[in-house]
Amino acid sequence: MFSRGINYKVPRNLLFLFEMMALLLMFMYYKNTLDKSIIIYGLSLIFIVYTSNFLLLKITRGDNYIFLIVTMLASIGIIMIYRINPGQGFKQIIWIGLGIVLFFVTYFIVKKIKGWENWFLYYFIASIVLFLMTLLLGDRFKGAINWISIAGITFQPTEIIKILTIFLISSYYINYDKFKEKKWGNYYLIGIMYLFILFLFLQRDLGSVLIFSSLFLALQYIYHEDRRLVLLNLTVLIFSSILGYLIFPHVRIRFEIWLDPWKDIDTTGYQITQSLFAIAEGGFFGTGLGLGYPDFIPEVSKDFIFSAICEEIGILTGIGIIMLFLILVYRGFKISINQRNKFFRIVALGISILFGIQSFIIFGGVVKMIPLTGITIPFVSYGGSSMLSSFIALGILQVASEELDIEEV
Amino acid sequence: MEKEIKRIITVLVGICMLFVSLVVYLTYFQVFKAEDIKTNSYNKRLWINEEKILRGSIIDRNGRILAYSEKNGESYNRVYNYGNLYSHIIGYSYRDYGKANLELHYNNVLLNISESSALNELRNLVEPNSEGNTLVLTIDHHLQEYSRNLLKGKKGAIVAMNPATGEIYAMVSLPDFNPSTLREDWANIVEDENSPLLNRATSGLYQPGSTFKVVTAAALLENNIILNQYECTGSTIIDGYELQDYAGKGHGSINLEQALVYSCNPYFAEASLQLGIDRFSEVAERFILNKEIDFDLPVKKSSFPKRNIGKTDIAAASIGQGKVLVTPLNMALIASGIANKGDIVKPVLVKEVISKNGKIIDTFEVEVLSRAIDVFTANELKNMMVDSVDKGTGKNARINNIRVAGKTGTAENPSGNDHAWFIGFAPAEDPKVAVAVLLEEEGSTGGSSAAPIARNIILEALKTINN
Repeated sequence: MFSRGINYKVPRNLLFLFEMMALLLMFMYYKNTLDKSIIIYGLSLIFIVYTSNFLLLKITRGDNYIFLIVTMLASIGIIMIYRINPGQGFKQIIWIGLGIVLFFVTYFIVKKIKGWENWFLYYFIASIVLFLMTLLLGDRFKGAINWISIAGITFQPTEIIKILTIFLISSYYINYDKFKEKKWGNYYLIGIMYLFILFLFLQRDLGSVLIFSSLFLALQYIYHEDRRLVLLNLTVLIFSSILGYLIFPHVRIRFEIWLDPWKDIDTTGYQITQSLFAIAEGGFFGTGLGLGYPDFIPEVSKDFIFSAICEEIGILTGIGIIMLFLILVYRGFKISINQRNKFFRIVALGISILFGIQSFIIFGGVVKMIPLTGITIPFVSYGGSSMLSSFIALGILQVASEELDIEEV
Repeated sequence: MEKEIKRIITVLVGICMLFVSLVVYLTYFQVFKAEDIKTNSYNKRLWINEEKILRGSIIDRNGRILAYSEKNGESYNRVYNYGNLYSHIIGYSYRDYGKANLELHYNNVLLNISESSALNELRNLVEPNSEGNTLVLTIDHHLQEYSRNLLKGKKGAIVAMNPATGEIYAMVSLPDFNPSTLREDWANIVEDENSPLLNRATSGLYQPGSTFKVVTAAALLENNIILNQYECTGSTIIDGYELQDYAGKGHGSINLEQALVYSCNPYFAEASLQLGIDRFSEVAERFILNKEIDFDLPVKKSSFPKRNIGKTDIAAASIGQGKVLVTPLNMALIASGIANKGDIVKPVLVKEVISKNGKIIDTFEVEVLSRAIDVFTANELKNMMVDSVDKGTGKNARINNIRVAGKTGTAENPSGNDHAWFIGFAPAEDPKVAVAVLLEEEGSTGGSSAAPIARNIILEALKTINN
């Protein structure tokens, strides 16, 4: 291998180079408080990422790019998080490591087990149980109940429900002919989805309401034979959002902040205006790592990581991240179109739409293009639940990128 | 299957459009909005720089220090040497109350913060920025102090400037406030009904009264509308409304020059009706009414009516009443334009920027804002204005051995006492200084109250300012 020299045209090697240089920069920045363990963890993460990208070539006959894109995203995220808060950065390294492990585990499990398309009812029951758990055991955090804590481990059930929902929708459309024959079969899915959205609304998790609604709408648009229902769904969603605006003050307030955050700059508009300051300050090239003040933004490593990246590494990097998501979504759609197994075709679509919509909602929110709802950027933001569930979703997408047997329905 | 793929691609295109719109929005935000947002006083980053960098001083044209910063423990304190005197020019810079006027407009220059670029970043690493730049104003401290003393106890504004270069020598607006004690006075300042925070010279809009007749006269001269032997009876009736002269006595048989010298309202009213609103407003806009003025301080736009107006409105506009509203700065620029052979130059407050090493890194350039009138018209107007001071309403502005050109104004104010105005320049042969004096709700004529103030300022300026 070395006799041929290292070829930096291979994306894997470019990523490696990028990570090494970024790590070096970060270590220089924290040279006074540097801990030996962080160096070891950092280097091992780079090693894991590199070998995973390499191994994947041998293991899968499917898409080689999605994992590469995601590890690039996670690398940018970790650099920024480590810069903002070394403690969180340390944890994030572990989350990413675990995520990669889960990616492979999911990949093998999903590939091995057959019959995913037949468990519509189980997906539904599992989702309902998780929703009820959230409502009963959940803690209210920033006005939304979306965290539950079991045996000292806190997690966001919504993250798992997202994947379950994609499976649920897919198995519904696979078995659509059977459902259609039942009396209300045509309306099963729409009823279930409205129930889910209602649950999310009760949790006051408006970001997830938006994600679930658009995910459902997009898949329904593609697969539902009864076109009147698609139109009906669209009208209902529009009307209920107007109704939500009129009835619920916490919905209205989001819109008002979006329209004019400067008016209440001390109170409700504080977060978004701090985010805008950061982005404006960064310019196209950024202030440079460690030379900006992203810590002025509350919740910067979670919802507002994008603003921090724009401030210190520049809007061009921000645009780069948007483009990485664009390619990821594009690859996902390509995988879907090439997949002959209809169940995994729909699943691949669902996951791609999920990545796309979720990242758009939070990018658009922190730059004040659309009203802000607090959700994470998949693979980039700090946080275990989001990181792990995103890697699980990616593992499923990896399976979907391979040639699979055509299911018998 | 076909249909399915078509729909999948539709959704893909939709998501791609969302992402592309994000990129477009971010770029738009960075190019058009970021500058404004960065200077918002809630941006804590501004203050971080503040604490590390010695904010530059502000000095007058003769090198007298007007404002500076001194070290106070870890941070710096801003000191304003002359209290109220420069509140409307220099303004203030406070962490909790934000920044205003030159302190705001030149914040980056005073802190020596340049646009973030790779080269600047590198330069910063080699030589960390520790000291800001000094601003040299065009203001003459002595004249500024002298002007404020003349205005003391009144409400109003004074602008004195060089008509050829646009350099402002003095700019006073009363009431004002003391930037040094802003923190203690803030509650009183914001509640004061006389609005001391308002810079009347640049942001106060007033009816110009008869001073505006110079603009009307310019339009009449240009369009060759000359009512010779106009019989002034002291009033005229237009569309059923009676329009009177100030004294109401009548001037007898007069021509344009005499009409301006004695400030005859009926003459201008009748003549402006022949002129018509289109030709009239075209000239007014060349005197930068209805136009933004690019200046170092925020400036309100003076306005001249153009649409939906009747004969009475035109007649009122011709004598500076009704819907015509101007800032004192605009009136000073009108006087300057006539003094400067018809060219109005851009007003400037900052003469030079000097770096901490004493190098001049920026100098203002003379820039013509508008070619208002040609040289011949300017010359004729000048002669009329000289006569107005010599033997007309502006007698109180006369100076021995110096020919002063000027025009008085007494503007009827629908919400209170009359405003008194005077605009002018001197020496008429080679104008060195142009002034505009406004006394808000003074209740007396421009000739009796504003003209003597203008006279003293002109005299003092000619005495003290060289070059």
